[in-house]
Amino acid sequence: MRNELVVLTDYVRSESGYEGPLDPESDLLDAKILDSFSIVQLAMFVQERFGVELEAEDLTRANLATLSNIVALIDRRKAGVGG
Amino acid sequence: MFRNIQGPFREFGFAAGCLYATHRVLQGISARWHLHVYELMVQPITDRALLPRKFGAQLDIREVRAGDAEIALMPVRPDVMASRLRQNATCLGAFRRGELIGYMWFCRREYEEDEVRCVYVLEAERESVFDFDFYLFPEHRMGLAFVALWNGANEFLHRRGVRYTFSRLDRFNVASRRAHRHLGWKVVGRAIFLQLGRVEVMLATLAPYASVSVSRARRVRLRLRPDVLHA
Repeated sequence: MRNELVVLTDYVRSESGYEGPLDPESDLLDAKILDSFSIVQLAMFVQERFGVELEAEDLTRANLATLSNIVALIDRRKAGVGG
Repeated sequence: MFRNIQGPFREFGFAAGCLYATHRVLQGISARWHLHVYELMVQPITDRALLPRKFGAQLDIREVRAGDAEIALMPVRPDVMASRLRQNATCLGAFRRGELIGYMWFCRREYEEDEVRCVYVLEAERESVFDFDFYLFPEHRMGLAFVALWNGANEFLHRRGVRYTFSRLDRFNVASRRAHRHLGWKVVGRAIFLQLGRVEVMLATLAPYASVSVSRARRVRLRLRPDVLHA
Protein backbone atom coordinates (compact mmCIF):
# COMPACT_ATOMS: atom_id res chain seq x y z
CA MET A 1 0.00 0.00 0.00
CA ARG A 2 1.30 3.48 -0.81
CA ASN A 3 2.63 5.55 2.07
CA GLU A 4 0.06 8.33 1.48
CA LEU A 5 -2.74 5.82 1.75
CA VAL A 6 -1.40 4.45 5.04
CA VAL A 7 -1.01 7.94 6.49
CA LEU A 8 -4.50 9.01 5.37
CA THR A 9 -6.08 5.81 6.69
CA ASP A 10 -4.47 6.37 10.09
CA TYR A 11 -5.57 10.01 10.08
CA VAL A 12 -9.20 9.22 9.21
CA ARG A 13 -9.34 6.51 11.85
CA SER A 14 -7.87 8.72 14.57
CA GLU A 15 -10.05 11.73 13.73
CA SER A 16 -13.33 9.90 13.25
CA GLY A 17 -12.89 7.07 15.72
CA TYR A 18 -14.05 4.71 12.99
CA GLU A 19 -12.78 1.18 13.55
CA GLY A 20 -14.43 -0.75 10.72
CA PRO A 21 -12.94 -1.67 7.34
CA LEU A 22 -11.61 1.30 5.32
CA ASP A 23 -11.41 0.45 1.65
CA PRO A 24 -9.56 3.07 -0.46
CA GLU A 25 -12.60 3.20 -2.76
CA SER A 26 -15.22 3.53 0.01
CA ASP A 27 -17.18 6.75 0.01
CA LEU A 28 -16.30 8.28 3.39
CA LEU A 29 -19.08 10.88 3.15
CA ASP A 30 -21.83 8.42 2.27
CA ALA A 31 -20.61 6.19 5.09
CA LYS A 32 -20.77 9.24 7.42
CA ILE A 33 -17.15 8.69 8.45
CA LEU A 34 -16.36 12.25 7.34
CA ASP A 35 -18.57 15.33 7.34
CA SER A 36 -18.23 18.93 6.14
CA PHE A 37 -16.02 19.98 9.06
CA SER A 38 -13.82 16.90 8.71
CA ILE A 39 -13.22 17.75 5.05
CA VAL A 40 -11.72 21.12 5.98
CA GLN A 41 -9.56 19.53 8.69
CA LEU A 42 -8.49 16.79 6.30
CA ALA A 43 -7.51 19.37 3.68
CA MET A 44 -5.35 21.22 6.20
CA PHE A 45 -3.75 17.95 7.29
CA VAL A 46 -2.99 17.02 3.66
CA GLN A 47 -1.34 20.39 3.04
CA GLU A 48 0.84 20.12 6.11
CA ARG A 49 1.72 16.44 5.94
CA PHE A 50 2.35 16.13 2.21
CA GLY A 51 3.61 19.67 1.48
CA VAL A 52 1.02 20.43 -1.19
CA GLU A 53 -0.98 23.63 -1.61
CA LEU A 54 -4.73 23.10 -1.93
CA GLU A 55 -7.22 25.69 -3.12
CA ALA A 56 -10.93 26.09 -2.35
CA GLU A 57 -11.87 24.48 -5.66
CA ASP A 58 -9.96 21.32 -4.65
CA LEU A 59 -12.31 20.76 -1.70
CA THR A 60 -15.03 19.00 -3.62
CA ARG A 61 -16.87 15.79 -2.98
CA ALA A 62 -15.25 14.25 -6.07
CA ASN A 63 -11.75 14.94 -4.76
CA LEU A 64 -12.24 14.05 -1.11
CA ALA A 65 -14.91 11.36 -0.89
CA THR A 66 -12.53 8.38 -1.06
CA LEU A 67 -8.98 7.78 0.12
CA SER A 68 -7.85 6.90 -3.40
CA ASN A 69 -9.29 10.17 -4.74
CA ILE A 70 -7.40 12.10 -2.06
CA VAL A 71 -4.16 10.36 -3.05
CA ALA A 72 -4.88 11.21 -6.70
CA LEU A 73 -5.42 14.85 -5.70
CA ILE A 74 -2.10 14.90 -3.83
CA ASP A 75 -0.37 13.43 -6.91
CA ARG A 76 -1.90 16.07 -9.17
CA ARG A 77 -0.93 18.89 -6.86
CA LYS A 78 2.63 17.58 -6.49
CA ALA A 79 2.82 17.43 -10.30
CA GLY A 80 1.53 21.00 -10.43
CA VAL A 81 -1.70 19.99 -12.19
CA GLY A 82 -4.88 21.86 -11.28
CA GLY A 83 -8.30 20.49 -10.14
CA MET B 1 -38.34 -6.26 10.02
CA PHE B 2 -36.70 -6.96 13.40
CA ARG B 3 -33.65 -5.02 12.15
CA ASN B 4 -35.91 -2.07 11.27
CA ILE B 5 -37.21 -2.05 14.82
CA GLN B 6 -33.74 -2.51 16.34
CA GLY B 7 -32.13 0.29 14.30
CA PRO B 8 -33.50 3.33 16.17
CA PHE B 9 -32.73 1.76 19.55
CA ARG B 10 -29.14 1.11 18.49
CA GLU B 11 -28.80 4.61 17.03
CA PHE B 12 -30.54 6.67 19.71
CA GLY B 13 -30.39 4.50 22.85
CA PHE B 14 -33.33 2.91 24.66
CA ALA B 15 -35.22 5.99 25.89
CA ALA B 16 -34.90 8.01 22.68
CA GLY B 17 -35.52 4.84 20.66
CA CYS B 18 -38.89 4.42 22.43
CA LEU B 19 -39.73 8.06 21.67
CA TYR B 20 -38.78 7.56 18.05
CA ALA B 21 -41.02 4.48 17.80
CA THR B 22 -43.88 6.48 19.36
CA HIS B 23 -43.27 9.30 16.90
CA ARG B 24 -43.51 6.88 13.96
CA VAL B 25 -46.65 5.21 15.30
CA LEU B 26 -48.37 8.59 15.78
CA GLN B 27 -47.41 9.63 12.26
CA GLY B 28 -48.98 6.44 10.98
CA ILE B 29 -52.25 7.06 12.82
CA SER B 30 -52.88 10.69 11.86
CA ALA B 31 -51.17 13.48 9.98
CA ARG B 32 -52.19 15.79 12.85
CA TRP B 33 -50.50 13.71 15.53
CA HIS B 34 -46.82 14.31 16.19
CA LEU B 35 -44.20 13.80 18.83
CA HIS B 36 -41.41 16.38 18.65
CA VAL B 37 -38.33 15.59 20.71
CA TYR B 38 -35.98 18.54 20.98
CA GLU B 39 -32.59 19.19 22.47
CA LEU B 40 -32.02 22.86 23.26
CA MET B 41 -28.43 23.77 22.65
CA VAL B 42 -26.06 26.68 23.11
CA GLN B 43 -22.77 27.20 21.33
CA PRO B 44 -20.16 29.91 21.77
CA ILE B 45 -19.65 32.65 19.20
CA THR B 46 -15.96 33.44 19.07
CA ASP B 47 -13.65 35.33 16.75
CA ARG B 48 -11.71 32.12 16.03
CA ALA B 49 -11.87 31.36 12.30
CA LEU B 50 -13.43 28.00 11.45
CA LEU B 51 -12.04 28.10 7.94
CA PRO B 52 -8.72 29.30 6.44
CA ARG B 53 -9.44 32.49 4.50
CA LYS B 54 -8.39 31.07 1.13
CA PHE B 55 -10.88 28.19 1.43
CA GLY B 56 -13.76 30.54 2.05
CA ALA B 57 -12.78 33.14 -0.53
CA GLN B 58 -15.18 31.88 -3.20
CA LEU B 59 -18.19 32.30 -0.94
CA ASP B 60 -19.79 35.57 0.00
CA ILE B 61 -21.71 35.58 3.30
CA ARG B 62 -24.14 38.47 3.57
CA GLU B 63 -27.51 39.47 4.97
CA VAL B 64 -30.67 38.68 2.98
CA ARG B 65 -33.37 41.27 3.64
CA ALA B 66 -37.16 41.09 3.55
CA GLY B 67 -37.61 42.49 0.03
CA ASP B 68 -34.73 40.56 -1.59
CA ALA B 69 -35.50 38.14 -4.42
CA GLU B 70 -33.65 35.32 -2.60
CA ILE B 71 -36.43 35.11 0.00
CA ALA B 72 -38.67 33.50 -2.63
CA LEU B 73 -36.04 30.82 -3.33
CA MET B 74 -36.15 29.47 0.22
CA PRO B 75 -38.22 26.32 0.72
CA VAL B 76 -40.22 27.81 3.58
CA ARG B 77 -44.04 27.86 3.94
CA PRO B 78 -45.45 31.38 3.38
CA ASP B 79 -47.02 31.54 6.86
CA VAL B 80 -43.71 30.49 8.46
CA MET B 81 -41.80 33.08 6.43
CA ALA B 82 -44.33 35.75 7.41
CA SER B 83 -43.82 34.84 11.07
CA ARG B 84 -40.04 35.19 10.73
CA LEU B 85 -40.29 38.56 9.09
CA ARG B 86 -42.82 39.71 11.69
CA GLN B 87 -40.31 38.73 14.39
CA ASN B 88 -37.60 40.82 12.67
CA ALA B 89 -35.47 37.71 12.25
CA THR B 90 -32.16 38.18 10.46
CA CYS B 91 -31.17 35.95 7.56
CA LEU B 92 -27.57 35.33 6.51
CA GLY B 93 -27.09 33.89 3.04
CA ALA B 94 -24.11 32.11 1.49
CA PHE B 95 -23.57 33.09 -2.14
CA ARG B 96 -21.35 31.54 -4.78
CA ARG B 97 -20.88 33.78 -7.84
CA GLY B 98 -24.04 35.64 -6.86
CA GLU B 99 -26.17 32.50 -6.45
CA LEU B 100 -27.75 31.71 -3.08
CA ILE B 101 -26.49 28.27 -2.01
CA GLY B 102 -27.57 28.26 1.63
CA TYR B 103 -28.80 30.37 4.51
CA MET B 104 -29.50 30.53 8.22
CA TRP B 105 -31.81 32.63 10.35
CA PHE B 106 -31.59 34.04 13.82
CA CYS B 107 -33.62 36.13 16.25
CA ARG B 108 -32.63 38.35 19.13
CA ARG B 109 -34.29 38.31 22.56
CA GLU B 110 -36.82 35.56 21.77
CA TYR B 111 -37.99 33.24 19.01
CA GLU B 112 -41.46 31.87 18.33
CA GLU B 113 -41.05 28.22 17.35
CA ASP B 114 -42.77 27.31 14.08
CA GLU B 115 -43.41 23.61 14.77
CA VAL B 116 -44.93 23.83 18.25
CA ARG B 117 -46.54 26.45 20.51
CA CYS B 118 -43.42 27.62 22.26
CA VAL B 119 -41.34 30.77 22.63
CA TYR B 120 -37.65 30.50 23.46
CA VAL B 121 -36.64 33.45 25.61
CA LEU B 122 -32.95 34.37 25.76
CA GLU B 123 -31.97 35.44 29.28
CA ALA B 124 -28.62 37.00 28.29
CA GLU B 125 -30.43 39.00 25.64
CA ARG B 126 -27.68 41.46 24.67
CA GLU B 127 -25.17 38.69 24.05
CA SER B 128 -27.41 35.99 22.59
CA VAL B 129 -29.28 35.01 19.47
CA PHE B 130 -31.44 32.00 18.64
CA ASP B 131 -30.51 30.41 15.31
CA PHE B 132 -32.84 28.27 13.24
CA ASP B 133 -33.40 26.84 9.77
CA PHE B 134 -29.78 26.33 8.75
CA TYR B 135 -30.29 25.19 5.17
CA LEU B 136 -28.00 24.30 2.27
CA PHE B 137 -29.44 23.57 -1.14
CA PRO B 138 -28.91 19.82 -1.77
CA GLU B 139 -26.26 20.21 -4.47
CA HIS B 140 -24.08 22.22 -2.07
CA ARG B 141 -24.10 19.82 0.86
CA MET B 142 -20.92 17.92 1.74
CA GLY B 143 -18.71 20.74 0.52
CA LEU B 144 -17.34 23.87 2.13
CA ALA B 145 -20.65 25.69 2.39
CA PHE B 146 -21.60 24.39 5.85
CA VAL B 147 -18.36 25.50 7.46
CA ALA B 148 -18.18 28.73 5.43
CA LEU B 149 -21.68 29.78 6.46
CA TRP B 150 -20.99 29.12 10.13
CA ASN B 151 -17.66 30.92 9.80
CA GLY B 152 -19.43 33.94 8.29
CA ALA B 153 -22.16 33.81 10.93
CA ASN B 154 -19.57 33.76 13.71
CA GLU B 155 -17.84 36.83 12.24
CA PHE B 156 -21.14 38.64 11.68
CA LEU B 157 -22.44 37.96 15.18
CA HIS B 158 -19.17 38.46 17.05
CA ARG B 159 -18.76 41.91 15.47
CA ARG B 160 -22.18 42.77 16.90
CA GLY B 161 -21.30 41.70 20.44
CA VAL B 162 -23.06 38.32 20.33
CA ARG B 163 -21.31 35.60 22.32
CA TYR B 164 -23.88 32.78 22.38
CA THR B 165 -26.23 31.24 19.90
CA PHE B 166 -29.02 28.92 21.00
CA SER B 167 -30.85 26.46 18.81
CA ARG B 168 -33.12 23.49 19.00
CA LEU B 169 -32.12 20.24 17.38
CA ASP B 170 -34.46 17.43 16.54
CA ARG B 171 -33.27 14.53 18.70
CA PHE B 172 -33.54 12.22 15.70
CA ASN B 173 -31.57 14.37 13.24
CA VAL B 174 -28.27 12.51 13.50
CA ALA B 175 -26.49 14.52 10.77
CA SER B 176 -27.27 17.83 12.42
CA ARG B 177 -26.12 16.58 15.82
CA ARG B 178 -22.82 15.39 14.35
CA ALA B 179 -22.23 18.66 12.53
CA HIS B 180 -22.96 20.80 15.58
CA ARG B 181 -20.52 18.79 17.67
CA HIS B 182 -17.68 20.55 15.84
CA LEU B 183 -19.12 23.91 16.89
CA GLY B 184 -18.75 23.29 20.61
CA TRP B 185 -22.42 23.08 21.51
CA LYS B 186 -23.75 21.98 24.85
CA VAL B 187 -27.23 20.92 25.88
CA VAL B 188 -29.13 23.48 27.98
CA GLY B 189 -32.37 21.52 28.15
CA ARG B 190 -34.66 18.99 26.56
CA ALA B 191 -38.32 19.24 25.60
CA ILE B 192 -40.93 16.87 24.26
CA PHE B 193 -44.08 18.14 22.56
CA LEU B 194 -46.96 15.77 21.93
CA GLN B 195 -49.44 17.15 19.41
CA LEU B 196 -52.84 15.45 19.15
CA GLY B 197 -54.85 17.66 16.84
CA ARG B 198 -55.43 20.95 18.65
CA VAL B 199 -54.09 19.66 21.94
CA GLU B 200 -50.43 20.11 22.67
CA VAL B 201 -48.68 18.72 25.73
CA MET B 202 -45.14 19.70 26.67
CA LEU B 203 -42.70 18.13 29.11
CA ALA B 204 -39.32 19.81 29.52
CA THR B 205 -36.28 19.88 31.74
CA LEU B 206 -36.63 23.67 31.92
CA ALA B 207 -39.24 25.75 33.74
CA PRO B 208 -42.24 25.55 33.57
CA TYR B 209 -41.47 21.83 33.00
CA ALA B 210 -44.98 20.93 31.79
CA SER B 211 -47.78 22.62 29.93
CA VAL B 212 -50.99 21.85 28.07
CA SER B 213 -52.31 24.06 25.31
CA VAL B 214 -55.50 23.86 23.26
CA SER B 215 -55.20 27.27 21.69
CA ARG B 216 -52.78 28.62 19.10
CA ALA B 217 -52.70 31.86 21.05
CA ARG B 218 -51.21 30.19 24.14
CA ARG B 219 -47.50 29.54 23.90
CA VAL B 220 -45.29 28.16 26.63
CA ARG B 221 -42.16 30.24 27.28
CA LEU B 222 -38.88 28.43 27.83
CA ARG B 223 -36.06 30.55 29.24
CA LEU B 224 -32.59 29.69 27.95
CA ARG B 225 -29.36 30.57 29.77
CA PRO B 226 -25.78 30.08 28.54
CA ASP B 227 -24.36 29.07 31.96
CA VAL B 228 -23.63 25.52 30.85
CA LEU B 229 -20.83 26.81 28.61
CA HIS B 230 -19.00 28.13 31.66
CA ALA B 231 -19.64 25.18 33.96
